Amino acid sequence: MDKYIPTIGLEVHVQIKTVSKLFCRCSTQFGNEPNTSICPICMGMPGTMPSINSKAINLAVKAGLALNCTINNISGFARKNYFYPDLPKGYQITQFQYPIAEHGYIELDSGKKIRINRLHIEEDTGKLIHDQDENSLIDYNRSGVPLIEIVTEPDIDDENEAYEYLQKLRLIIRYCDVSDADMEKGQLRAEPNISVRKHKGDPLGQKTEIKNLNSFRAVQKGILYEINRQQNELEKGGSIEAETMLYNEKNQSVIPMRKKESAGDYRYFPEPDLPDLNIEDVYIEKIRAQIPELPEAKKKRLIKEYEIREQDAETIISSVQLADYYEAAMNNINDKQKATNFFTKELLALLHKENLKINELKFSEKQMNELLKIIEEGTINLNIASSVLSKMSQTGKNPGQIIKEEGLEKTDNESEIKVIVERVIMDNGEEHDRYKNGEKKLMGFFVGQVMKMSKGKADPQKVNKILKELL
Amino acid sequence: MNIKKIKSDINNRVNKAEEILDIIYNRINDDNLNDYITLTKNHAYQSAENSQKRISKNADLSLIDGIPVSLKDNFSLINSRMTCGSRILEDYISPYNSTVAERIINKGGLIVGKTNLDEFAMGSSTETSYFGHSVNPIDASIVPGGSSGGSAVSVKAQHAALSVGSDTGGSVRQPAACCSVVGFKPSYGVVSRYGLTSFSSSLDTVGIMGNNVHDTNTLFDIIRGTDKYDSTVIDIEKKNMDNKIIGYIENIEGLCPNIAAIYRKKIEQLQSSDYKCIPIEIPYLMESIAIYQIISMCEASSNLARYDGIKYGLQTEEARSMFEIYSKVRGKGFGKEVKRRIMTGTYFLSYDNAKYYLMSLEMRKKLYTVMKGIFNSVSYIVIPTTMKLPFKIGERIDDPLKMHMSDSLTAFCNLANLPAISLPAGYSDNLPVGIQVIADSFNDINLMETAEYIEKIWGE
Repeated sequence: MDKYIPTIGLEVHVQIKTVSKLFCRCSTQFGNEPNTSICPICMGMPGTMPSINSKAINLAVKAGLALNCTINNISGFARKNYFYPDLPKGYQITQFQYPIAEHGYIELDSGKKIRINRLHIEEDTGKLIHDQDENSLIDYNRSGVPLIEIVTEPDIDDENEAYEYLQKLRLIIRYCDVSDADMEKGQLRAEPNISVRKHKGDPLGQKTEIKNLNSFRAVQKGILYEINRQQNELEKGGSIEAETMLYNEKNQSVIPMRKKESAGDYRYFPEPDLPDLNIEDVYIEKIRAQIPELPEAKKKRLIKEYEIREQDAETIISSVQLADYYEAAMNNINDKQKATNFFTKELLALLHKENLKINELKFSEKQMNELLKIIEEGTINLNIASSVLSKMSQTGKNPGQIIKEEGLEKTDNESEIKVIVERVIMDNGEEHDRYKNGEKKLMGFFVGQVMKMSKGKADPQKVNKILKELL
Repeated sequence: MNIKKIKSDINNRVNKAEEILDIIYNRINDDNLNDYITLTKNHAYQSAENSQKRISKNADLSLIDGIPVSLKDNFSLINSRMTCGSRILEDYISPYNSTVAERIINKGGLIVGKTNLDEFAMGSSTETSYFGHSVNPIDASIVPGGSSGGSAVSVKAQHAALSVGSDTGGSVRQPAACCSVVGFKPSYGVVSRYGLTSFSSSLDTVGIMGNNVHDTNTLFDIIRGTDKYDSTVIDIEKKNMDNKIIGYIENIEGLCPNIAAIYRKKIEQLQSSDYKCIPIEIPYLMESIAIYQIISMCEASSNLARYDGIKYGLQTEEARSMFEIYSKVRGKGFGKEVKRRIMTGTYFLSYDNAKYYLMSLEMRKKLYTVMKGIFNSVSYIVIPTTMKLPFKIGERIDDPLKMHMSDSLTAFCNLANLPAISLPAGYSDNLPVGIQVIADSFNDINLMETAEYIEKIWGE
């Protein structure tokens, strides 16, 4: 049923990396005992007032610049009023009319730009916890933790574009060290707005919003489900209500949660307890200078500089630490694609297997560089290199030392190989007889046995040659 | 009971600081004026002991070392009850100190207790207090004014030498006039509001009451100045300016003749000293009360949302849903006037009605500009604090519009961010009258100097 055209916008909340909360000095540490990182201010006790954490402004400006936004010289805070037990003041301090940053974009691989309408700073709420006895408990540790909200224009056409946008957004945020953007810890939360319409020229349909999406996959699935639901509803002659939908992880569906509020319900007004934010150009330029090379630029440069495949570059830039490690490891390597293959295949497999991050490895990029050079020199073959890598990971020793200790240098000494071949033939008399009787495919078996006995060091071509002579 | 007298009593060994507290607490008990909701005796005596030691060694921390001060019960004092005159906070104990309390304590001041007020500072008579109204020591049949009525009574009745109140639309100056004491509202952003329970955050100011301008100014010097907990506060300095031109209004529409007569006389006294008095008009003066009400009620509706029965304050056991908790706690906990203002404020922030709120903000800006213009040609403005003489207990409590009009000569100062001080100006028909001296924004220090001078002229 592709009669309907979906239109999607994304609201993303990112918890930014400050040590203390947005308006008080409480810790933002994740996972503390409930209600231990709280004070009269973030609890909204009578008489308390907010005072802004300047680090949060720094990070918001950084994120805004990295997302190609204009930073507003003057922005201000507003109150969003609603009652909920996790909201201690009965209002949330956010930015409404005057956000800190506006008019940015993220470019997808297709070249399409997803426009960012605004980026603003706000405080997080506490957290409601329902226990087994159906009691509702509240943990205010998260209350007042700084967030930035990044809102796109309705430029996203389908769930895959949404997915790509989110991946790129998260990477940029991580590159700038604005947030770890770990979805499991709630450091990144995405809420899509979805509507469908029949023809391109039609006005946009009634939109709904999906909450509770806890992974990028869930975002994809939720969007897809909601598009289909809306289409079916309209096909049946029904209508779409302005609703907030809840994603259900178990059956990957969405169900209506509540009627969607409009701005008028929230009674926004300027926050009198905080002066306007006055951000001067000098400050903006200072922060602009701190922004590192961003993922897309890095990708392009790596492809050009190392003459590697786009696919490999994409893998390497998936974290800034990995990319830095890669570049250091590639120092003075000539056959860059071959080294890159080893890097992306073997090293990443190792990280995956050991469940390690690149900075948790026991060996340095310099040691990795040494290994890649040894491979390039042809001292060991790739199989050996792979086991040297795993030894490095276990011991942290230099590759050269491991090779020496274990005697792993490739051997092309024919007499040495000959000794091994003779030994193998002797040990496998039965197979030798079968070979002589014409079972030529046993050649592979003999090569394997020789390689095994030589611990992979023997040059396979020479092994073949000698085997043919002696068999 | 002024600072000078108390200090000399202590210095001349007439009384120790602790003994002065004994006298005060006995008086409070005997007079039964309901000016205090909570007495903070433990705190006061502890501080007095320390003060006495310092004073005996001539090592006073400040001019207010050993001086008894009362605190309006919407300011936080650590580990003390703070009710805001409301049932919803009847048993609430504050876990921290307001900046004002902290500074007073650090300079040796003794906090005698927490004074009565209209519920959440909404009212002009203390009659909306859940704890009953305070009694005016001048005449028990008239209101002490409000909302800082308890503070004014405590100073007048010598239950404290000084009092800290809050002034959102006139709540320090109007009760000062009703009780014939000095009441000062500084410019917004000069004294930290941290720890003052918010009513209308863009208008709330911390005010001071005392027996004379000098005492009032002494406390002002101690509590003003930047605070890391309130980012709207700045440090101010004395300005180099012409101090001698006073603006006054010749015919104030609706001013009661008794007050008009005193006002005329006081202007004449200034003219016959070295002041030049010129008649001025204040545009939007009558509109200011509507602007004030819309803005203050809108902000109040948001500020009072935190009293929801979840974290502290009044609770309910009977609720079956979240909504029921809110409606039961707030229904029981808030009085009529507070509910009226919350509902009106909510209305003026919702959907299309927000245009009135936005219009009010526009008008506020206009008023600000107009006042700036006036202060280009005059150094100070002198006008009465109230339109009418203090009204009778019960007279306006069921007529909210009339009650709200009590702020009609004071609220424009909060809207335009002007410092203003109400000085006692004598009596008419045995009822006290107050007259305000008003200065341009942040000219607070100059204003206090001039007020002290004017106080002398009027006292002669």
